[in-house]
Amino acid sequence: MSQDHGHHIIPVKMLYAVIGVLVFLTVLTVALAQVELGVFEVPVALAIALTKAGFVVMIFMALKWDNRVNASILAVGALCVLIFISFILIDTEFRGDLSNTTEGTIMDQQRVEQAMEGREPERSDISFNRQ
Amino acid sequence: MANPHTNQPAHVKHYFVSSEQQFDAAKMGMWLFLVTEILLFSGMFVAYTIYRSWHPETWMALSTALDWKLGGLNTLVLLASSFTVAMGINQIQRGNQKGLLLNLILTFVFAGVFLVVKYFEYSAKIEHGLLPGAAFDPHGISHGFDYATYNVPYGPQFFSIYFVMTGIHGFHVLVGMGLFAWITWKAKNGAFSAEYYTPVENCGLYWHLVDIIWIFLFPLLYLI
Repeated sequence: MSQDHGHHIIPVKMLYAVIGVLVFLTVLTVALAQVELGVFEVPVALAIALTKAGFVVMIFMALKWDNRVNASILAVGALCVLIFISFILIDTEFRGDLSNTTEGTIMDQQRVEQAMEGREPERSDISFNRQ
Repeated sequence: MANPHTNQPAHVKHYFVSSEQQFDAAKMGMWLFLVTEILLFSGMFVAYTIYRSWHPETWMALSTALDWKLGGLNTLVLLASSFTVAMGINQIQRGNQKGLLLNLILTFVFAGVFLVVKYFEYSAKIEHGLLPGAAFDPHGISHGFDYATYNVPYGPQFFSIYFVMTGIHGFHVLVGMGLFAWITWKAKNGAFSAEYYTPVENCGLYWHLVDIIWIFLFPLLYLI
């Protein structure tokens, strides 16, 4: 095993390349923030940040050449974060949609609602009642 | 400098089989600690997610209250400090103690620059009442801009999240400066070599994580 003969030394050239990429991605994310991206604003910013974090973890923290057990420890942490954020989004984005516990499907109910609306008389037809 | 009883180098504790095993154990402990750090910050990112998803217009309006130029400068400063840490480890792996020392000093200086920039950012926020919770009271005119326009609904929550997230991150930078002062002093006394540089490796891992947290904070708070 190569590890018995000392640790992996990352070439200086590679370190320079990585800092170059990181600076470039920082400039890119600032530039893209000036452009109107609509719904893609958050996903694009997160994708760039994740790419940068990936370079730092893999090269600067040398996880690429490290003992696999450290990678699995990080993966467990990342999985927890993913669960926290995605379950929170299920709540904040779809609250109400999921708490429907009446009988029948949502589509059934919408069909009934539309039928009822169709039967609703015109306001002018029932106005005599108010007098 | 070998231990006469075990024929191991002096830095190896008697309960480890080899220098390599001791190094790997220390590093694995550091990764476990880093995961607890990730979980600490993830709680705050969850709070961010909830408030952003419920009040996106507040987030879009108030991200302009943060100076992306200063935030971007600090991003570059932290990236540079991550680079010098990686360079320092490269140097000591080749046995270059002077190269390590130089890179550790640079890392310490970059961390200091980060906090100085943060000080100026915080001062401007405090001056114009961009404060968390009940203290939120945007006022004053600077460069022809009226800060009262930042008085939007859920502004107090935005600045609570801003100050807690950047504050706890800033505290980590301060702790990092303490750690780097300590290993710089050790490096100056020639404590590290190609065979033994575990504290440098682990402080470096900590520092890279602090950098990664900022990589996420910068776009999420300042840009979008």
